[in-house]
Amino acid sequence: MPELAIFGQHLLNGLLIGCAYALIAIGLTMIFGVMNIANFAHGEFYMIGAFATFYLVSLLKVNYFLALPLAVVIVLVLAIVIQQVIFKRLRDAPVMTTTLVTIGLSLLLEHLAHLLWGPQPQTIPNPFPTAPLSFAGIYTTPLYLFAMLVTAALIVIGHVLIQRTRMGKAMRATFQNKEAAALVGIRIDSIYLYAFGFGAALAAAAGAVLGGFIPVEPTMGGVATLKAFVVVILGGMGSFVGAIVGGLLLGLAEGLGAGYMSSGWKDAIGFVAVILLLLFRPDGLFKRG
Amino acid sequence: MADTHSRRSPLATAATAAVLLALFALPQVVHNEYLLHLCIVSAIFVIIALGLNLIVGYVGQLSLAHAAFFALGAYVSGLLFIKFKWSMWIGLPAAAVITGLIAFALGWVILRVRGHRFVIITVAFAEIMKLVATNWIDVTRGFMGLPGLTIPALYIPGIGAIDLSSKERFYYVALTAAIITFWLCAKLVGSSIGRAFVLVRENEVLAESLGISAFRYCMIAFVAGAAMAGAAGSLYGHYVGFVSPDLFNFSYITIMLIMVILGGKGTLLGPVLGAVIFTFLPELLREASHYRMVIFATILILATMFMPRGIIFPLVEHLVPKRWRNKP
Repeated sequence: MPELAIFGQHLLNGLLIGCAYALIAIGLTMIFGVMNIANFAHGEFYMIGAFATFYLVSLLKVNYFLALPLAVVIVLVLAIVIQQVIFKRLRDAPVMTTTLVTIGLSLLLEHLAHLLWGPQPQTIPNPFPTAPLSFAGIYTTPLYLFAMLVTAALIVIGHVLIQRTRMGKAMRATFQNKEAAALVGIRIDSIYLYAFGFGAALAAAAGAVLGGFIPVEPTMGGVATLKAFVVVILGGMGSFVGAIVGGLLLGLAEGLGAGYMSSGWKDAIGFVAVILLLLFRPDGLFKRG
Repeated sequence: MADTHSRRSPLATAATAAVLLALFALPQVVHNEYLLHLCIVSAIFVIIALGLNLIVGYVGQLSLAHAAFFALGAYVSGLLFIKFKWSMWIGLPAAAVITGLIAFALGWVILRVRGHRFVIITVAFAEIMKLVATNWIDVTRGFMGLPGLTIPALYIPGIGAIDLSSKERFYYVALTAAIITFWLCAKLVGSSIGRAFVLVRENEVLAESLGISAFRYCMIAFVAGAAMAGAAGSLYGHYVGFVSPDLFNFSYITIMLIMVILGGKGTLLGPVLGAVIFTFLPELLREASHYRMVIFATILILATMFMPRGIIFPLVEHLVPKRWRNKP
């Protein structure tokens, strides 16, 4: 296999992971920016999205393409309940309180998943043919291409919703100045609800699509949360575009890193970057000045 | 040092003596190996919880690196034992000192930031330490861990070597360490340093305006807490006999937080009772491990939201001497 094709292969592998990181991180950065909460339970939405899809497809025999949006709706409902029951009461609460609550929530959801689904890793069955496709020496599968298409489309949709719609503008206004936003008639509670629900839904979609080729297990959420935090710090806390670029960057770096260096150490790069950025460039890699 | 808060009443002294006597008499009454094991683990977690409480409870910074300091202590002591055959008597102080130094270096850079940035950096630090333990195979042996750690004998001139490796004997080692830690914390919290801790937690701007450096007092709490965690790690490693990267798992920091928060952060007795109760309670519910985590997580959420003083301490508050209570 020629050098260039190997490089392309790693790049392609990294691209999908990057899209998934971006999807998860958009929600995390939004919840952070709008609600000022570092949500350690965010990865659990990704995990539940994957499990809901698995159950719909393999046990309830729901059509795969119907199961994906259904799983997202299930997580959305869960997120709305969590927002209304818990986070609505924590507006303007200290960092210690909100962080401890999200840590508790993460623990709660992970162990509920253990109880409901057991610890054994699952794979979501899918209707795509398993025969690999090949372009110029780079191999991929139809499922992989589908996953890439869906995650990329969701990123674009998410971006448009945030940049172009009234609700998106209201969200950004709340992020910039909560008091002023409230003053011009933006209802902060409903902005919180939309931000939290939207963020959870994107994470669930990432889980639903990726569950086709990565093992679906209760502990996958914790790992995703940490990765998403790395992405959010890379892109700047609260920056939507930063989360997208940061996600792709981390995904590509990991794809190439897994190909060309020892995979054990590659995760350390992200965490070292997090510490350095938080100390010296808290607005992320991309913000000027 | 004169401490106006610690005016001892005869009743309080008698109660303290009775509790100490009961703790030391315990192995004479309880012969069940399994219960003694839980008592030893409780004592080790008391040390950890007291240390975490200095950071989370007294200066009010949410550090998620505490479990990493515990694991680091276990590794320092374990490596000294494996590589140099140094026993726990050297390993334990070495673990405390080295963990404290690492906390000092980390604190030097991160105690200048607050809020979410502080929390996330402590998580990143803990993850890096876990990756080092897992991947620096030449030194740490990776997932294979450090096996074969032993409990040393105690040499007393004139008496000779006393074997401490039975559960009954090691209980006294762990209990003594826990009591010393409690005494150190009580001294620290009761001193002017402790009052500065509380002021930094309650109003950092006011503290700074009075010339009390928040950075310095956060550092004292951070380093002291980490050293306690390191010492506890050494005890744990030698007691269990095995040190592995699993000690860095996030579940350790969550259980430590549960002990301190539900016990009652910012009090001396709360985290102690929290550590004991949340060592025994999971064992009672052992058959239903995930149910119990679901229950604990729910309690953690509810207590954080509605009972910021914790659950256990408010229940026993009026039973304890005044000087151990939460100072406003």
